[in-house]
Amino acid sequence: MSSVESKTAKTLAALDAAQPQPVVALFAEVRARFDAEAAAAHDEVSWKLFRDAWLGRKSGVLTQITDNWLKPASPELKRAVGAALNELRAHVEAQIEARRVALEGAADETTLARERVDLSLPGVVRPVGSRHIIRQVFEEIERIFLQIGFSVAEGPEIESPYYNFEALNIPEFHPVRDDMDTFYLELPKGAPGQLLLRTHTSPVQIRTMEKQTPPVRVIVPGKVYRRDNPDATHSFMFHQVEGLAVDTDITFCDFTGTIEYFVHEFFGPGVKTRFRPSYFPFTEPSVEFDASCIFCAGRGTAAGGGACSKCKGAGWIELFGAGMVDPAVYGFVNYDAAKVSGFAFGIGIDRLAMLKYGIDDIQVFFQNDVRFLRQFP
Amino acid sequence: MKVVYNWLKEFVDLTAPAEDAASRLALSGTNIGGIEQGAQGAVIEAELTTNRPDCLGHYGLARELSAIYRLPLKPVAPKPAESAAKAVGAVRVEIQSPELCGRFTARVIRGVKIQPSPAWLRERLEAAGVASINNVVDATNYVMLELGHALHAFDYDLVRDHRIVVRQAKPGEKMKTLDGLERQLTPGICMVCDGDGTRAVGIGGIMGGTETEISFSTKNVLLECAWFEPVAIRRATRFLRLYTEASTRFGRGADPELAELASRRCAELILQLAGGELLAGVVDAYPGKRAPKKIALHRSEFLRIMGVDVPDKEIEAILAALGFAPVRVDAQRGAAGSLLAAWECAQPSWRAEVEREIDLIEEVARIYGLDKFPPRFPVARKAAARLPHAAAEERLRERLMGLGYREIVTIPHVAEERNELFRPAEATPARLANPLSEEAGVLRSTAAVTMAAALEWNLNHGQRSARLFEIGRHYRLQGQQSVETRVLALGATGEAREKGIYDAARAFSFADLKGDLDAAGAFAGGFRWQPEGGAWLHPARCGRVFLGAQELGVAGQLARRVAERLKLRQDVFLAELLLDPLYVAMRAAGDARRFVPLPRFPAVERDFSLLLADGTSFAAVARVIQSLGIAEASSIEAADLFRGKNVPAGKYSLLVRVLFQSPTSTLTEAQITDFSGKIVATLEKQLGAQLRAG
Repeated sequence: MSSVESKTAKTLAALDAAQPQPVVALFAEVRARFDAEAAAAHDEVSWKLFRDAWLGRKSGVLTQITDNWLKPASPELKRAVGAALNELRAHVEAQIEARRVALEGAADETTLARERVDLSLPGVVRPVGSRHIIRQVFEEIERIFLQIGFSVAEGPEIESPYYNFEALNIPEFHPVRDDMDTFYLELPKGAPGQLLLRTHTSPVQIRTMEKQTPPVRVIVPGKVYRRDNPDATHSFMFHQVEGLAVDTDITFCDFTGTIEYFVHEFFGPGVKTRFRPSYFPFTEPSVEFDASCIFCAGRGTAAGGGACSKCKGAGWIELFGAGMVDPAVYGFVNYDAAKVSGFAFGIGIDRLAMLKYGIDDIQVFFQNDVRFLRQFP
Repeated sequence: MKVVYNWLKEFVDLTAPAEDAASRLALSGTNIGGIEQGAQGAVIEAELTTNRPDCLGHYGLARELSAIYRLPLKPVAPKPAESAAKAVGAVRVEIQSPELCGRFTARVIRGVKIQPSPAWLRERLEAAGVASINNVVDATNYVMLELGHALHAFDYDLVRDHRIVVRQAKPGEKMKTLDGLERQLTPGICMVCDGDGTRAVGIGGIMGGTETEISFSTKNVLLECAWFEPVAIRRATRFLRLYTEASTRFGRGADPELAELASRRCAELILQLAGGELLAGVVDAYPGKRAPKKIALHRSEFLRIMGVDVPDKEIEAILAALGFAPVRVDAQRGAAGSLLAAWECAQPSWRAEVEREIDLIEEVARIYGLDKFPPRFPVARKAAARLPHAAAEERLRERLMGLGYREIVTIPHVAEERNELFRPAEATPARLANPLSEEAGVLRSTAAVTMAAALEWNLNHGQRSARLFEIGRHYRLQGQQSVETRVLALGATGEAREKGIYDAARAFSFADLKGDLDAAGAFAGGFRWQPEGGAWLHPARCGRVFLGAQELGVAGQLARRVAERLKLRQDVFLAELLLDPLYVAMRAAGDARRFVPLPRFPAVERDFSLLLADGTSFAAVARVIQSLGIAEASSIEAADLFRGKNVPAGKYSLLVRVLFQSPTSTLTEAQITDFSGKIVATLEKQLGAQLRAG
């Protein structure tokens, strides 16, 4: 810098620059010097020194040029010196700013590399809870039926034989009782009647109709019990949702329409439905209700060839029993069988959940292993 | 029942493949388990509902197919050659219990040759799943499978006096049945006896006895074909735990009219297979003959139930094919499709369960095809309502899930021994009279017992941290009544916070359980805690939970004694609360909730580091501060607690943080100093508290 410093300390006259040409050469020399020094400003400290050396108000190079070259310049040179100075100033300021930006960017890079989060690491894991899958499936069923005007009712799990059997048109020694092996309670000596664990949610049909007159539309979720030895498809406790609709104008067509609506909502609109005649003492006509197999889309064949393992090649899956309420049942609740009609159904919640989620062992529902519970958030 | 398709073809000229027939049967009420191809052709597994005993023979299913395909059903009219000698002279029958046995026919075949059955018979029986025994016994089984009516063959010469007496069993009576077991009998069971009626030779409608059994030395056969009362048969089978092909058929209701025909058919077959001569006629005691029933069907009723009409011709063809002999009886006879159309039908003897108009409606609908009734969407006339407590239950469930608890569902059957560990003394357990096992002998008296089992399952399966809840019921007896109570169970074990990249691990403690319960209790205006808990809880780490004066339940760490019995090797925390009062309080608190304006002036915090004697509770400190009546003391909190270093034995250090705030002004330093001084002085005086430096 020494030559530039010494030159800017002198006037142009002292430098023998009375013509524009030597002035241009002087400015070119200063500018070359600046560009050479700029490269040396490699961090914040050296950059500040560099900036002050050139732009410092008291003794910066540009101030020196203004004071020593421009101000004393002869009137004929002043314009040329002024223009050259402005050009130099613009260059110096732009370069110093650019240098600052470059230095800051480099500093940020270092810091950010240290601070940058590793997105492959987990966040803070707070414990979260979950609904049991049986509950989730029931809520889905409840949502579907609430939309079409079915209220929710409930009833006791410990029942009298009257509600569980007799009032549902299942007298003692009816052969259907053989299919519903029943748990009975041990009661103190002298108890007037028996108590049992309900084998279906149907007793709540009777309890509901005893309490209200038609129109009736209810669904009844709950636990039911059958004295079956436990295995992959049997649990001596499982869950049903009973449905009951009674009114003055309900026909079989309303019944199938309601069930079809439910199945389309639950399994999807592409699922086909089928009703097969069956027998239950408390419905007539009674049906078993089938849906087209959701695993093979009703084709009966598995994707890899061979029979579909879920529907055993039938293309249909048996879902639940249902039917028009048997007029004998109305006799137990003082409804006029000649004036009202209705339908009832009993959906197995566990079975629907097993079908929908491909669960092959009913026991896992009730073991409550957290690894199972976690799968249904 | 295994149905040999070729056998059906003997009665109906079926041309459809077996698969088609099976599918049509399935869609008209006969459940089909599957089809297999064998030496005898297709065998269909038919799963019959209990109301259709008439289909427990091939002829009954042939009748179904004749109605489905509109093909004629061939009559069964056996005409076996008879000898000059009459059956009446060779055997006598007396029914002493007509309430148990409505009909008893007897035929006698003399000079038979008992031998193995020919191949065609053995193979057909085998295809139908029945083992071949000898030609005469096979003949009875063949007719049972063909017509659906069970028969029994006696060795005529072993029947004393050639006389049959039908009576009910005597108290304490015993007999040895064909399966070689001695059976204990009871009155109400129908016995077939011989001679003077003292010796039983068979349990009517269920199983014969060994003493008059057909053997290879049998020369003469007495053929029984009877009808037994279904309810009595079902009682008897349940009492004896003896279920046979015969008892299934009689127990569901056989056709009394068919008895004589089935006997004749069987005699024909015996003559064909074993030779001999059939004595003329039949000895037929028939006290239970039923008058034929008439049933009406109205189109208006059909429409009311089914919603869509069926043409006259279809109705009549279906009912006729099923044997109901419909006759139009309304005034508009001849007007096809009349809404006033009515038919009078005759109940066939094989369809005793069809008695009412609704039964006929079902018959027409199921054969006509349920798919012909188009689905329609019914209109609701009332708003739907959820259960009264549904909203409260949902809020509670959401809160618990937010606190990290997973919902479980349990089977309430537990071992009595386990139930006893948790049962409050005042609760009477609800025991089962017929449990499947001791392990499931009683319904839980508390939901804590099943929650402990769920934690135990997880610990035994390597899941060391779990937070679970159940919304369910517990079951108790009150005198002769059952009481089911809605309860919430909480269970937790392992770590409240797992060790991770950012946090150290922290074990779940009583404070976690209390905090979580209080977070739920906030919905109901807050729980109140009182010392002590159930006997199954750790005496120093438990509490009773109250809402006002109502006790909801207990919470705490499982007592070590109980944990050891359950082989739980880490601390387990449990709670059980009554839900109904909680739901009521949640609704009430929700209704009463009002906005409190936010404070406009700043609050000032003061910490008091106190040295207190063990046993002096935070509540006591708070009470003393509150007793000063400083309105500006807007909250009193415990901020820190420790024992040990620098704290003398028998004492502990508690940091109490008091927040001062005025709704009307900013508090001055002088006011705060004044409040603080009063607080310290009073705590020192009333609780012996010492203010610690710093």
